[in-house]
Amino acid sequence: MAELLKANFLTNLTYYRRSRLLLAFMIVFLCLTGLESLPIFFSGSGVQIFNALHQIFSTLNEFLLVFAAGLGLFVISSHLRSRSLKMVFTKPCPPALWLAAAFASAVGVSLLLNTVILGSALVVSLVWHVPVRAGLLFVSLDNSVASVGLIAYLMLLATLVHPAIAVTFAVIFNADMFYSVYTWTLAVVRSGNSSATMRFLNGIFHYLYLILPMVHAVGRKTESVYTSLRVVRGDWKYLLYSLGYVLVLSAFCYTMALFALQRKKHI
Amino acid sequence: MIIAENVRMHFRRGPFRRQIHALDDLSLEVRDGDFFALVGQNGAGKSTAMYCFLGLVQPTSGKVEVMGRAPYLGSPLYEGVAYLPEEPHYHLYLTVEEATRYYASLYRKRVSDKTIHDSLERLGLAEFKSLPLSKCSKGMKQKVGIAQCLIHETHLLFLDEPTRGLDPLAVRDFRETLREIHQRGATIVMNSHVLSEIEMLANRVAIIDHGKVVAQDDLSNLLTLNRELYSVAIEANGAVPDYLASVERLGNLVKGSIPKERLYDFMEYTRSCGLLVHECSLKKISLEDSFFNIVKGGASPGSSA
Repeated sequence: MAELLKANFLTNLTYYRRSRLLLAFMIVFLCLTGLESLPIFFSGSGVQIFNALHQIFSTLNEFLLVFAAGLGLFVISSHLRSRSLKMVFTKPCPPALWLAAAFASAVGVSLLLNTVILGSALVVSLVWHVPVRAGLLFVSLDNSVASVGLIAYLMLLATLVHPAIAVTFAVIFNADMFYSVYTWTLAVVRSGNSSATMRFLNGIFHYLYLILPMVHAVGRKTESVYTSLRVVRGDWKYLLYSLGYVLVLSAFCYTMALFALQRKKHI
Repeated sequence: MIIAENVRMHFRRGPFRRQIHALDDLSLEVRDGDFFALVGQNGAGKSTAMYCFLGLVQPTSGKVEVMGRAPYLGSPLYEGVAYLPEEPHYHLYLTVEEATRYYASLYRKRVSDKTIHDSLERLGLAEFKSLPLSKCSKGMKQKVGIAQCLIHETHLLFLDEPTRGLDPLAVRDFRETLREIHQRGATIVMNSHVLSEIEMLANRVAIIDHGKVVAQDDLSNLLTLNRELYSVAIEANGAVPDYLASVERLGNLVKGSIPKERLYDFMEYTRSCGLLVHECSLKKISLEDSFFNIVKGGASPGSSA
């Protein structure tokens, strides 16, 4: 069992290493981040450097979330579309194991990149004598947890539909999107428009917001940490809440993805 | 070893979800130690039948058993099973060596570097071991597929058009390897359009047409399915009987064929004329003729499972 997991895990890592699409995606984003970081070299004050570093750290973390989603999406869709899984499933390697290894490899790469970004931020802060705040670690951990949930969600979508449709679906059908629409319809209803259609839509959007996966499960509680990089003692528990949510979401997505994978015709 | 009973497999394809009957009441039996060939036209259902045996698709109805168990994806019964697909749908981002090692490692057995190296060496892939599969020719990919099939001792080997894309030398070597594996006691199930190859290797054949097994028998029986003619060769200088057809003369040697019902007339004729008989045997037909007779001519096959 461990041997099989290891073989699949390492093979998927090789896939990530050689995927030109992921590489191109990474290069484009790093170039954009590099351009964004140019002003740092012309800044004199420590506050300006801190703000610029904070900005770059936030941008890189956001990029990493998108990249993590891509890791989950591509590892499934490329293997399904190349029909190479028939070479795996006609050997004593069950789909559950292959899927677990694919998930683990995507999570592994995502965690590694999160660590690299956190490490770089710490080193740069020390080199340029910018105060190192606990918020860096908090944001990095929260981002790592969120990326696990995104990987699981995109993996599920990739087993069900074409990758382009999966991306479109993920962009439209997420809790943040429906929370915005829900608050808008709620505001309209409260402002006096209490038509049945609007109340119905408000209800629908509310339930969709509750059902659909969230990127940051307790995002509204940790907003201040993201903006100030200051963490108070009570904030750390939200990391655990996020972790709990992501574990449940990942278990659900894994089970559904496995079901879909077993029902597919790998021919 | 493999039993398929009344297997039906329906797909829905196209924008109007048109139903396609890939397998229609297919029944066959592969016995332990058989070199079993599935023969049929394109789209007859050979590959679909193999996918059912491998658990890659579940039949719409009917029963499939491989080594006494129903096959499914990643089943433990595949520990002694190897499969070479028709199309090289491999992990194209891996190199030749990595792919061979990866596929071998999926058998839950430790594979040494030497085994991998020997396997690649045997198939002439050693010098290309660092080449990514995406850059390999079709024949080389096919060899990688063969390497992963042969790396472990297998009891059951599924081969879907195994010699497609291989060079003549590799075809001959592969044929020899298959003979060795079969002689060691492995059961082999093979799909192929190359009937001459099947004639050389297989001991049992199933002819599939429109998703049905229209003939299933020992190869020797299928080759003598048309028992209507005798092949004869006699020494004769003058006239020959009028029922001797397809006459061919080589000096005073006359070759031809006679209908079965005229055999005794022919014997009487040669005896009375004192002619020397060089040959008189049931006319053999090729698998190609037999296949054509069954599929196109509607000859009644001896379907003995």
